[in-house]
Amino acid sequence: MEKPMKKIVLMFWLLVLGALPLQAKTEIYGKGVSIQEATPVSAILDDPDAYVGKTVRVEGLIIDVCAKRGCWVYVAGDRQGEKIQVKVTDGEIVFPMSASGRMAAVEGVVEELKLSREQMISYLQHLAEEKGQPFDPDTVTDERMIRLRGIGAEIEG
Amino acid sequence: MKWRKFNIIIHRDLGYLCFGLTIIYAISGVAVNHIQDWNPTYVLEKIVSSVNLAGIESADNEALTSSVLEQLGETSELKNVYRQDADTLKIFVVNNNITVDLNTGSVFQEKSTKRPFLYEANFLHLNHPKKLWTWFADLYAVSLGLLAVSGLFILKGKKGLAGRGKWLVGVGFVIPLFFLWLYS
Repeated sequence: MEKPMKKIVLMFWLLVLGALPLQAKTEIYGKGVSIQEATPVSAILDDPDAYVGKTVRVEGLIIDVCAKRGCWVYVAGDRQGEKIQVKVTDGEIVFPMSASGRMAAVEGVVEELKLSREQMISYLQHLAEEKGQPFDPDTVTDERMIRLRGIGAEIEG
Repeated sequence: MKWRKFNIIIHRDLGYLCFGLTIIYAISGVAVNHIQDWNPTYVLEKIVSSVNLAGIESADNEALTSSVLEQLGETSELKNVYRQDADTLKIFVVNNNITVDLNTGSVFQEKSTKRPFLYEANFLHLNHPKKLWTWFADLYAVSLGLLAVSGLFILKGKKGLAGRGKWLVGVGFVIPLFFLWLYS
């Protein structure tokens, strides 16, 4: 191989190696998180109308990840049994399966989905089946789904 | 140097340079295209089993976790434990999410393993690294454009763009237009 060509090939590989991600302790997704103060999940769920349309930061343990596309996660709330879904645009942010069981700070806009009772039951049944959990349609009392439209996240490694 | 000779050199060397990433993107493209049917990045395994938690204090998450992991033979690194409610314990270990019904001892495991090669290919193709890779991928896309354009002018005559080439290029445009019309 001629000398100038060798240099070009060497520069190419340096560029490729430079593009590889560094193993950071905290992984940043989307636009990251810029809001400093966290809003408790319980505060959002207790009074959703006060938060719908607002951008908030929530913190907690990721307890579920969309296994198919990585397009949502559930963040555990500050009160036992409570959680909030963070939905992101497919492909824009992809949460890896390894995110489950990690602490996260997530920033997003609180939104409300109004579903019919049948739609809500169907959706929750699908989630329960996917996670191998029992599901009783009679436990569905609210057709409102409060979730975050995720903008960015920081997930501890 | 004549422009056609220069064009061939560009096409040839860009072709060599882009070969590796084109193959990676092509394989990843097919894999991701069928995301409705499978997970192109992870092999997911769902296992239902049961454990015996008799004699363990139901509030003692640590003891419950140790017992569950021991009975399942799970030795991967423990990431976290979450008590979802009085009856449900979630145990997160590397590549395995374990949900335990403390009343019945029923266990649901969701194991995930990275698909060899496809995990890395999708990582690059879907631009998960962001950062410098975004620029590199842009450069690659521009190179593909150059490859396509320079490819039009490799041959002259009947087999060149003025001959059969123009018809095949036309077909290449008609196919996506047809599908746009079909699905509009």
